Amino acid sequence: MSEPAKSEQAKRRHAVKFAAIISVVCCLLITGASTGLKPFQQENRALDRQKNILRAAGIVALDAKPSRDQIQSLFREKIHEAVVDNRGNFMKPGEVQGLSLYLYREKNILKAYVIPIESRGLWGKIKGYIALEPDGRTVSGFTVYSHSETPGLGGEIEKAWFQKNFVGKKIYNSAHEFVSVSIARGSVDSLPRDTRINHVDGISGATLTGKYLTRGLKENLKQYEAVSVRLRNNKGIIRE
Amino acid sequence: MSEMKLTLKETFFRGIWKENPVAYQVLGICSALAVTVQMKTAIVMGIALTVVTGMSNLIISMLRKKIPSTIRIIVELTVIASLVIVIDQVLQAFLYDISKQLSVFVGLIITNCIVLGRAEAFALANDPLPSLLDGLGNGLGYGLILVAVAFVRELLGAGKIVGFSVIPQSWMDAGYSHMGLMVLAPGAFFIIGLLVWLKNSLPGASREEKTAQ
Repeated sequence: MSEPAKSEQAKRRHAVKFAAIISVVCCLLITGASTGLKPFQQENRALDRQKNILRAAGIVALDAKPSRDQIQSLFREKIHEAVVDNRGNFMKPGEVQGLSLYLYREKNILKAYVIPIESRGLWGKIKGYIALEPDGRTVSGFTVYSHSETPGLGGEIEKAWFQKNFVGKKIYNSAHEFVSVSIARGSVDSLPRDTRINHVDGISGATLTGKYLTRGLKENLKQYEAVSVRLRNNKGIIRE
Repeated sequence: MSEMKLTLKETFFRGIWKENPVAYQVLGICSALAVTVQMKTAIVMGIALTVVTGMSNLIISMLRKKIPSTIRIIVELTVIASLVIVIDQVLQAFLYDISKQLSVFVGLIITNCIVLGRAEAFALANDPLPSLLDGLGNGLGYGLILVAVAFVRELLGAGKIVGFSVIPQSWMDAGYSHMGLMVLAPGAFFIIGLLVWLKNSLPGASREEKTAQ
């Protein structure tokens, strides 16, 4: 605009040149930020997962906010990573492709085992952990560390009030069959008395999230049934 | 622009109060509903938006003589989007918990009309310094409303101020209960509506009043 007699073609050339320069500069900026900050972000994610494992195992309270050092030292001290094959045999980590799980030990006595959960949600994957007591049937905790559910509705699955309800629930029914733990539609109190122990209160406005998570929990827990059966038979003692 | 030349001070404070983007221009309502359940997320969102509007106004104003008018909106959006992505990455690296709570809303700053609106309406026609101040002022104005709304919602909805419980246990025992409406989006609509009414009924707070006389 400043040069009066600029031809139409020159203007167009200028626009293309300008667009190219802006694109390259912005690309470099974004790439720089993303690669430069990646180590910090990965550390944060790893720490967040460790925190959720500790919460699921009941080592830290669901609504507690432990510091970075607390998380790292508790995790190092009490959590032991393990791999099992599909018959529930423990293997050396990295040796064979198997199911990974985390053992929570206190003075060499198993207190809980934490199973990673990856479930379908309404809008994307729900990732979290469910911990079971050494009896192989009682839930000792449930947490979610990543999801894309609607905030305020399905997103409530990451809140302590929802997760607290899992504590003490059973993945076995009164007839000693594996039923997993399900998210009820509405309150658990509306269900028959003997199935209440296998259900947690649902979230109003998030029926589908509950449905998918129920299915996901069942699929994931089913895979680890061999470990749970083994523990039930051995009264909570694992031979590695 | 038809407006008179404003002093730098006026340029800055206009966005915060008189021509507040939420209460006067009624922009950025969507995110104002979404992130105002707690004061903490509202404060971070306000700061993030202030940085983005300030920076984008500054950059666009510096480039304004070079930007070809045919592709100017695309260029503005590219600048804004890049800034937002960089800020999102910084939050993920250093304020991970807050970035998790803000989830998609930081990315949605790109589509926040305040940023593009200020770039179009002010930065394209003014020098870098006033543009920077205009951007910062509008960002802070947005943040101010956000924090005010979040204060009411968090206090009534959860009984907390910036995460600290302020409702004594004796009230709870006596039958006090939190107002569930405040946690949901309609609660934010009521609060924003009341704020707009309050602001515009104050003397000298809006331009309409002057012209009405």
